[in-house]
Amino acid sequence: MNVIEINSLTKHFPGKKFSGDKIKALEKVSFNVGSGEIFGLLGPNGAGKTTLVKILLGITFATNGNAKLFDKPVTNVRNKKRIGYLPENHRFPNYLSGEQVIDYFGRLSGLTKSDLDKKTYKYLKIVGMDQWGTTKIKKYSKGMLQRLGLAQAMINDPDLIFLDEPTDGVDPIGRKEIRDVLLELKSQGKTIFLNSHLLSEIELICDKVAILNKGELIEVGSVADITTSSNKYIFITSDLSEDIMNKILTEYKGTLHGKNEFECIINSVEDVNKIIDYLRSSNVLIHGVYKEKNSLESMFINLIEQKN
Amino acid sequence: MVLAAFIKGVFKEALAKKILLTIFGFFSLLIILSVFALTNSTVEGMQMMLESSGGNSLREAVLTFQSYIVAGIPMFMLVSSMLIITSSFIPDMLKKGHIDLLLSKPISRTKIIIGHFLAATLIVLIAFTFLMGAIWILVSSKTGFWNPSFLYSILWFTLIFSVLYSAVMLIGILSRSTILTIIINMLLFFPVSFLLYLANTYFQSDEKSIVFGPVAESLLKFFYQILPKPWDMQDITVSFVTQNAVVNYMPLISSLLFMTIMLVLSIWYFNKKDY
Repeated sequence: MNVIEINSLTKHFPGKKFSGDKIKALEKVSFNVGSGEIFGLLGPNGAGKTTLVKILLGITFATNGNAKLFDKPVTNVRNKKRIGYLPENHRFPNYLSGEQVIDYFGRLSGLTKSDLDKKTYKYLKIVGMDQWGTTKIKKYSKGMLQRLGLAQAMINDPDLIFLDEPTDGVDPIGRKEIRDVLLELKSQGKTIFLNSHLLSEIELICDKVAILNKGELIEVGSVADITTSSNKYIFITSDLSEDIMNKILTEYKGTLHGKNEFECIINSVEDVNKIIDYLRSSNVLIHGVYKEKNSLESMFINLIEQKN
Repeated sequence: MVLAAFIKGVFKEALAKKILLTIFGFFSLLIILSVFALTNSTVEGMQMMLESSGGNSLREAVLTFQSYIVAGIPMFMLVSSMLIITSSFIPDMLKKGHIDLLLSKPISRTKIIIGHFLAATLIVLIAFTFLMGAIWILVSSKTGFWNPSFLYSILWFTLIFSVLYSAVMLIGILSRSTILTIIINMLLFFPVSFLLYLANTYFQSDEKSIVFGPVAESLLKFFYQILPKPWDMQDITVSFVTQNAVVNYMPLISSLLFMTIMLVLSIWYFNKKDY
């Protein structure tokens, strides 16, 4: 079941006053996000990522196209009870303490006092802020505000959580803790929509990603599909004889990396097995065979460069 | 419930920004000054002055004194101070990072506007109840004449505030600037509305020493009709406080219409605006 459905979503902002120009923030973007997925939205600065999230939350309105959350239009206010959101550069009222922030936004999410009494401490503890609940947030660091923001986004126990740069300003240990929280949410069946510049992080936790560039969707798919697009296999073996090395070079069109390692471009699993059979019949020990993976970062940079 | 939480949030904001403290501090100071001003000899003097000018009762003296409190400069000072103090609510709410979060919650944009309007009105109602209630008790206990009609001034002052605050909201939503909101509203309250009020009073009087051209007169009458009428509402307040019949309720009706239009425009613009 799709939690988010986006269909030909277009957003144009007015350009300079009286010029009649338009800034194309999004151009016919379409994709779906399934239930229980962690979905990453990638793109360089100004690609339209935040605009897309804001349209999905009803903060900004689309020029054309439509989007649905839980099969209902994004403008449906009641639907928002099932949604949590951590905006980029959020600005909580700085005269409140951590607990009061959770209380205020929890109540705005429709929670009762008894709900909040039960949940406030629990969620502050989950994000490691239970010691700071009564401190005014003007004394918080950026990382602490992000953690509080995450607790705020989870307080209404939402089915869908939008996180815009959730690890911004958070130290490496904090990032790991936030990743663990997100994976725990996923294990509970929650859907998470993540906007982040940190591709390594996206690669670690996302099931699916979409890449936006200048408002256009240039790639969407599972992280595995996007990062394993090459057909290059790498074999690690015991020492190879001259004869075997010659055969690898001539018959299998391989490339040698010393006596124990070579790579081949192979189009089918059958061909991989043929090489394995040959090596085994020649008494070569196989230490490992793996398909080369591109990092998400290199794929991302390649795709953006191709488009530009 | 969500609306109540929102209104409570505005109260907390007013408390944290020391807006409530400023209001109650200022009003407490006024009350203390009144305590010192209203000595027994002042009351006796008031009565003697009234008797020497042909008046004949303590009741009349008290009503005259109370009518001075609810008219002219005191009314302008009180309502405009409330407008200045509350004018930052909307621009602060619209700041990036806060409005995004607010709009992601299950509360409609219409309710956000209504919630803000109700919260500001409620804050001012409480403040005026504190001030006017204290002055009423003070004057009544000193003079021995209890005029409950004086308490109508609380409602009328709050109403005058609400009418003008509706314009504050619209200007705040359009401009997102507290300073601009204050300037435009003060211009609307004092020179514009006051001059139109004087012009209208002049047009209705029998003795006319200045002659306006027909276009100028029509324009002044037109603007008088469409803009709020805090100064006419002040006259109605005086009539209520002094227990006299109100001659004309039209200024109230047209001011309420102005307030409704301002609120509808605020809601309409806020509902279609990208944040």
